[in-house]
Amino acid sequence: MKTEERHAQLELCIPYVFGRLNPGNRKQFEAHLVTGCELCTRELSGLYEATTLLPLLLRQEMPPTGLRQRILSRASSKKQEQPRAERPSTQREAPVTPSTHPESHWYRYAAAIIGILLILALAFFVYQLVGTTVSQEKKITDLQTRIQQKDEALAIFGAQQLEMVSLAGVEPGSGFYGKILWDSSSSNALLQVAGLAAAPAGERYQLWMVKEQKYFPIVQFDIDSVQPNFLKTLTLSVGEKREVEGFTITLEPNGGSTQPSGRVFLRGAR
Amino acid sequence: MQRNAIVQRQQVDREDAELLKRVQRSDQRALATLYDRYAGVLYPLNLRVTGSHEAAEEVLHDVLVHVWEKSAGYAPQNGSVYAWLVSLSRSKALEKMRSTNQKRKQEGEGSGQRVNSNADLKQPAPETIIALKGYTEEVRNSLKSLSKLELRLLELSYYEGQSQSDLARMLRIPLGTIKAKMRRGIQKLRQASTEEAKRP
Repeated sequence: MKTEERHAQLELCIPYVFGRLNPGNRKQFEAHLVTGCELCTRELSGLYEATTLLPLLLRQEMPPTGLRQRILSRASSKKQEQPRAERPSTQREAPVTPSTHPESHWYRYAAAIIGILLILALAFFVYQLVGTTVSQEKKITDLQTRIQQKDEALAIFGAQQLEMVSLAGVEPGSGFYGKILWDSSSSNALLQVAGLAAAPAGERYQLWMVKEQKYFPIVQFDIDSVQPNFLKTLTLSVGEKREVEGFTITLEPNGGSTQPSGRVFLRGAR
Repeated sequence: MQRNAIVQRQQVDREDAELLKRVQRSDQRALATLYDRYAGVLYPLNLRVTGSHEAAEEVLHDVLVHVWEKSAGYAPQNGSVYAWLVSLSRSKALEKMRSTNQKRKQEGEGSGQRVNSNADLKQPAPETIIALKGYTEEVRNSLKSLSKLELRLLELSYYEGQSQSDLARMLRIPLGTIKAKMRRGIQKLRQASTEEAKRP
């Protein structure tokens, strides 16, 4: 800014301090102050300090009794605001600017850290709780499935005409065994196997029915390694039941095969 | 101004800054101390501006509540706590006075009976601010160099918010003279507040 322009701004300092600048000039002057003009800032500061002497010339007088107590009561009922910058007023009513007070901030930082820790602890607790809940729900579902299987198995056991086909491991000493319980009066059957390990990835066990020396796919199933005694209810739609010669269990690609292609694990004849 | 008065004032400023820090920590006793120190100056200031005891009391209440709630807005680098309080008080008092005048205008009343505390100006003041007693006396002595007109112009401008044009019309004095007298009066005020600091 040119010297003469700066001088012009200095002329505005007095009316500014006395609050007598029109809005346009005031805005212009404040914009000038924002540029950080040291001359005007120093001038203003001196003017403010000087004008505060004027009230000392007045006859001093204490306000009515009771005001002090009212102010203190109000203070005790109202909390202080968070430190923040006061917006500069259109007239600089008071030499107030944004300021920091580190000595009054430490407890806010501490409170913030404690708050964050509490939130993290709560989040961890919720995470654990959700994990536990999911795990419990899975266990309940598994138990419900097993109860349902047992109920179905019991229903088959209660059938009036029950046939049983024993299954044995093809390889001697394999330890594989099983059976098929078959309600002759309906299509319901129960497959039970033991000793089989979980199928390799991409493969599943497959049950075949042998009829007139031909293999008919019945169902694919998975063995859970934690469940040594596997039960599965089946529906056998085989037409003339007396033509059924036996059952075989093989390992087939996931999705099933139309004819046995993998390793034979169990076999049983009627 | 005597050096001991300035030293006394600087000591008071330091104490005030400490009081304000305590206020920021919600220490009500510190607020009470600030009240005891400055109510005796701020109340007459409010009374001079508003012309009403009731309004002066209300403004003082608002100022102290503002100090309690927004003390973080004070920046020591911009002036003393006392200067902040005086500026706050004057601003709120002028606002109150303007709003009251506006209300009276709307209700078709006159400007009302103003309490003229200025009449007491030349009387000896009961010193209620013990901390600033010596300093206040020194300020009075320093400002004896102000002419009656200079002091009158400063007061009308400071307490009543009169513009220089208003003053020229009201006192029937050329605007140029008003400006020159005010500038000179302010120079004397500034000298009073800084001359001791310039001494070695």
